[in-house]
Amino acid sequence: MPRSASIAELRTLVAAWEPSPLARGRTAVASGVAGLDEALGGGLPAGHIVEVVSAMPGGGGGLMVGALLASTRAAGKRIALIDATDGFDPCSYRPDHLRHLVWVRARSLSEAMACTDVLVRDGNYAVTVLDLRGVPVRTMRQQPSSAWHRIRLAGEQNPGAILVLSATGCIPAVPWRFILHEGTPLNNLGRTHAERMARLTLESVRSRDAVKEEMAG
Amino acid sequence: MNYAVLWVPGFALCSLQRHEPGLQGKPVALVTGEGRRAVVVEATREAQHVRPGLAVPLATSRCPGLLFRGRDLVAEQETMQLLVASAFTLSPRVECTSSGCVTVDLKGADAERTEAAMRLHVLELRMLGLPVQIGAGETPLVARYAAKVTDSIMIVRDRGGFLQPLPLSFAEPSARLAEILEGWGIRTLGALTTLPKAEIGGRLGPEGAALWERANGESPGVLTLTEPAKSFAASWRYEPPVESVEPLVFKLRRYAERIAAELRAVCMVAEELSLTLLLEDETDHLRQFRLPEPGADVDSWLRVLQTHLDSLRLDSRVAGVRLVAKPARPAQAQGGLFETGRTDAASFWENIARLAVLVGDDRVGTPVPLDTYAPDAFRMERPAIVVPAAEARPVHPPRGGLLRRFRPPLRVRVTCQGSSPVMVEGAVRGDIRARVGPIRLQGGWWMVAPWAFDTWLVELVDGGLYQLTHNAAGWAVEGVLD
Repeated sequence: MPRSASIAELRTLVAAWEPSPLARGRTAVASGVAGLDEALGGGLPAGHIVEVVSAMPGGGGGLMVGALLASTRAAGKRIALIDATDGFDPCSYRPDHLRHLVWVRARSLSEAMACTDVLVRDGNYAVTVLDLRGVPVRTMRQQPSSAWHRIRLAGEQNPGAILVLSATGCIPAVPWRFILHEGTPLNNLGRTHAERMARLTLESVRSRDAVKEEMAG
Repeated sequence: MNYAVLWVPGFALCSLQRHEPGLQGKPVALVTGEGRRAVVVEATREAQHVRPGLAVPLATSRCPGLLFRGRDLVAEQETMQLLVASAFTLSPRVECTSSGCVTVDLKGADAERTEAAMRLHVLELRMLGLPVQIGAGETPLVARYAAKVTDSIMIVRDRGGFLQPLPLSFAEPSARLAEILEGWGIRTLGALTTLPKAEIGGRLGPEGAALWERANGESPGVLTLTEPAKSFAASWRYEPPVESVEPLVFKLRRYAERIAAELRAVCMVAEELSLTLLLEDETDHLRQFRLPEPGADVDSWLRVLQTHLDSLRLDSRVAGVRLVAKPARPAQAQGGLFETGRTDAASFWENIARLAVLVGDDRVGTPVPLDTYAPDAFRMERPAIVVPAAEARPVHPPRGGLLRRFRPPLRVRVTCQGSSPVMVEGAVRGDIRARVGPIRLQGGWWMVAPWAFDTWLVELVDGGLYQLTHNAAGWAVEGVLD
């Protein structure tokens, strides 16, 4: 077989690739953020990683976590939050929205990654959130890509979705990446969370379709 | 069936194999005596052509590669405890009859259920490396004969028919009586019991009468009952001390299996495990594991313990181990239609326990805010087994910033104009463009350490919303507002 033909075949195969037979036909988990759910075609896709980059301090990542807590609580699902910098403030959220939450207060990125590796294999959580905001960029870069690959493979075999919140796009070859633009001005804090959520600007910088097209050449 | 006997053939060798890694599937012989007088007592199936009574050099020549071991009394005691604990799940009336033999009084027990339980025990104990054989019958002696005859489980319903063909050796005659009876042509129990007991007693004396009773399956006396375990602990030492995790985990599993069986025997589960490593430098390393869901599943325990051991770095070798399980009653709950349950309960608690090992018990759970305005006031609770249905939406929708905290708060220098902050310097720095505050909070005035501070919400010129606090200790950044 000519070499070019085999590469073309490989590209076709990669383009048609689905993560695993187990992951096919799974439902999505509504994140409670209209823009995100719309862009993802219904919600966080089960068995996949979605990365949301919130570069600015106060960029809306907390609002997103709040929406996800409310949405999964209403849907009667469990959620896990791995907090790499121990920054989650339970007192900022409605106590009823925390009753289905398992919060892991990691002390370092390596601890957070190890905990994520355990939780994405657990079939009890509809969403596993890994909050990496606040982790220094240098530390993030030291994380080997194989660690992400391992989490991605584990996620594909399980029914939960994985949401990663970061300050810089850090996951190699992530299927979906969104950027939260601009922080909230101080005078907006008086608005309801729903109103502020409606004003969040989410830019999709990487989507599964785009990845497929890119790989197919 | 009134009695059951759990019997392990080759008990001493079997105990040794359970407690020493690397002996499974190998030709092993148990020896007694020293030097030239050492002879084989028992040998595994793999030790071909090696029979009990064989001298060690001869055994070596018959089976090259044969491993010789002496009796391990600690391992035997441990295995016996496992056997006894297992017997207690059949009945509370248990006798430790001899090494590797336990008699259970089954009078009053449901026959069908007991038979099913016995079949299950045979399978479970074999999985634990204990090839137990169970016999059940009208008397303890008949049950014991049945246990020795079968290779799995035997229930004797026709006592006469069962005893009839058994060889006379089952009744354990003395050498003198065996010779006499052989001369009479009596080789089976049935042949002996067809003769009148009084005639046998008249000719062979009380010893002969006792032999006739044993041949008839009659047991003298009553069972000497033993008590179930009251503490659930195990400790052992390594000679020489060990450096790697594998030998630790191997023995941990063996001892955990016994502790779990003892817990099940008294219908209890473990809610906490305590692991102490006794180090070569005579110091201890103690770690307690609170099990999120109390249980008696050894695999779950081992996953938690191994996660901890894998991450452990010690300065000294491990010379001994102590494992203690804190007993608790098993939790029972029924879920509701609209509640959030668990898809896979076993993995849920198992993973919570593993996370607790990774980050600490107090850093995994469900947060519950406390009813106070004190900063960062919450407690961590064990995740609910069943989460009740969500409450109705609040009348007033939530407003305000959602804080992402710095723990501990970052100390900063703040320049003020009048009482208002205008610039912040330190870990967070920049000119302040807008501010809201001060929000004055105080509490705990009835306590030794009351708290009071002013809170400011500020927006920096280059973006970012922060929550600042000011009190007698100075200024600090509590966190970022989202």
